[in-house]
Amino acid sequence: MHAIEVKNLHKAFGDLKAVHGVSFEVAQGEIFSLLGPNGAGKTTTISMLSCLLRPDEGEALVMGHSIKDDQMGVKAALGVVPQEIALYNDLSARENLTFWGKMYGLRGAALKKRVEEVLEIIGLTDRARDRVGKYSGGMKRRVNIGVALLHKPKVIYMDEPTVGIDPQSRRNILDSVVALKNQGMTVLYTTHYMEEAQELSDHIAIMDTGKIIAYGTHDELVKIVGQMDRITLTVSTDGGYVAEAWKAVGGVKQVKAEDGTIIVLADDSNQVLPSLFETASAQGARITSVDIQEPNLEAVFLHLTGKALRD
Amino acid sequence: MKILDLALKDLTRSFRSVFAVAFMFGIPLLVTGMFYLMFGGMKGDDTGFNLPQTKVVIANLDEGGTGFETAMSQFPADENIDSMGDMIVSVLQDESLSNLMHVTVVDSPEAARVAVDAQEAGVAVIIPADFSAQFSSLEGQAVIEVYQDPTLTLGPAIVRSVLNGFMDGLSGAKIAVNIAIEQTGSGDPAFIGQIVEAYLAATSSLRDPAALLEVRTPVSAQAEEIPLALRILGPIMGGMMIFYAFYTATATAETLLAEDEMGTLPRLFTTPTPQATILGGKLLAVLLTVTIQVVVLLALGALIFGIRWGSLPSVLLFAAGTILVASAFGVFVNSFMKNTKQGGIVFGGVLTFSGMIGMLPIFAFSNPSATLETISLIVPQGWAVHGLFQSMQGAAAGDLALSALVMLAWAVVFFGIGVWRFQKRYA
Repeated sequence: MHAIEVKNLHKAFGDLKAVHGVSFEVAQGEIFSLLGPNGAGKTTTISMLSCLLRPDEGEALVMGHSIKDDQMGVKAALGVVPQEIALYNDLSARENLTFWGKMYGLRGAALKKRVEEVLEIIGLTDRARDRVGKYSGGMKRRVNIGVALLHKPKVIYMDEPTVGIDPQSRRNILDSVVALKNQGMTVLYTTHYMEEAQELSDHIAIMDTGKIIAYGTHDELVKIVGQMDRITLTVSTDGGYVAEAWKAVGGVKQVKAEDGTIIVLADDSNQVLPSLFETASAQGARITSVDIQEPNLEAVFLHLTGKALRD
Repeated sequence: MKILDLALKDLTRSFRSVFAVAFMFGIPLLVTGMFYLMFGGMKGDDTGFNLPQTKVVIANLDEGGTGFETAMSQFPADENIDSMGDMIVSVLQDESLSNLMHVTVVDSPEAARVAVDAQEAGVAVIIPADFSAQFSSLEGQAVIEVYQDPTLTLGPAIVRSVLNGFMDGLSGAKIAVNIAIEQTGSGDPAFIGQIVEAYLAATSSLRDPAALLEVRTPVSAQAEEIPLALRILGPIMGGMMIFYAFYTATATAETLLAEDEMGTLPRLFTTPTPQATILGGKLLAVLLTVTIQVVVLLALGALIFGIRWGSLPSVLLFAAGTILVASAFGVFVNSFMKNTKQGGIVFGGVLTFSGMIGMLPIFAFSNPSATLETISLIVPQGWAVHGLFQSMQGAAAGDLALSALVMLAWAVVFFGIGVWRFQKRYA
């Protein structure tokens, strides 16, 4: 049984189709990332999978429980780490965890024990009595994650958990995600940071405008752009002549001129760059900027959508 | 169980907020305390309010007259009553009037008038040298001059009232003397003295100065013997309690919207907790918070200010009605708000406006008006105030039934609409 099975989910808000025919499967014990820019439909998808939104169409099963017909079963199997910090600032970390533990059905000694364990996991035992409102952003993020771990869920959703925090806290969170996987949890992770998806994920689904535009492992996705380096250049004169001249350079596989820039796909950028400079000079043009991208998810997204992931 | 967990979480948060606690308890107590201090607290005389003591100076020039030796025997020997003027001084200096006036005797009319002019005294009473002689003369007219500070009204009026009472008595005696002299043709001083003695014996007021001035208090106050200050503090504190109970309920219910904005409400919806339980817990928190507020304020009002809220069953009925209708009102109002940013309009507009209408009978407590009370009943706060007044006036629980039923009806309607709208919103 898959931890999560999503079949043709649709959700619209008025005329806006936020999620449009999304389907994917997440195996138990893996980290699955939904990668896409803001507004791609990641949070709407997560919201439907956590029973916060009812899909207009389609179905999803979480640990075998239908998000339509067995919401309590889905919620009991799930831990959700929302994008925004959802805690009570006027309660301490321990009070927050205790309250949320009760909401997940924990009671008595078991609750107390689990709260202390989670405090240990998130590294806040020493500050457990302080009110969350006094915590740094990174500490709040850790408590935010801790809440989702209280009932030892089979599946955990993490919706952009590293947004707006310092590098050290970000590192801690990424490490904790890997640790959760090692404990056997299934993690559905959404992010618009290509590096995070690349580092963490067993499988990645790239989303844009409410649809999954690519799906697979990192290596599988990178193959979409053919393992070629992508060189983006601007020149001082009309790029058309220069682009035509570059097509004849050895090692260059493809040249495309658009919006004042010229994109060159090549097997090895280091090898072709000197020739590109020489050819441009021979055409009376001067190269004013160069950007080299080795094959990665950013390049995949750019290749598939024609825009950068962070646009 | 989760309902209680949710409610207790909200209670903890509410009572950790200095702002919330200040509005729940601080302001009602502070305002009542200010009125308490304005009226000089509750210590001392517990049977009524005190009029300010009037300073009276008397210039008694009366040289006495014939025929009063026997009459003077009506007064204690140690008072040295030798003339009618001495009688007036004795009356005004009587201990029974000491809380109303402080009497000083001066030697001359000028000294008396100067004391008034210098505002060292409020009233000067000048008894002329021939006062007793005029009284005993068949044709004579005994006149006392009262010289007063024109800026004062109450004190001089009291002095004049005492003097008028006394002079009425003397006039009666003089009439009796004159009739006796005319009918008998006897001017024998001993005979005159006997007549005066008999008249004085019959008119106790001349020997009981307190009887010359009757200070009356309103019938209702006399019946319950409640000090005026308490009659003011009770409605004020009760009104504050009702006003801020509605405020607290609305503010506590607003946490539903605040939690939605904070993300904790959506997160609650991701836990295996039914939506009805979550909403129920939030609403229970409103009810518990207002209950604590009302109970604490009633208790503190009684303990600190000595306010008598009424019999226990009546107070319980009034308090239960107030708690229910305030809580339901808070839920109802919030169900129409899109977000907490609209809270300013609600708190500043809806709550203040409806609260002011409901408090009309309290603003006019010194001059009760049936019209104002009727107007106040168009808002739920007005019914709470109505119940408060009934309870404070000693109405039995049965007499509060109508108020309680109306508050319950308001509560059911408000609660029903509010819950329906919230369920629809979060469905």
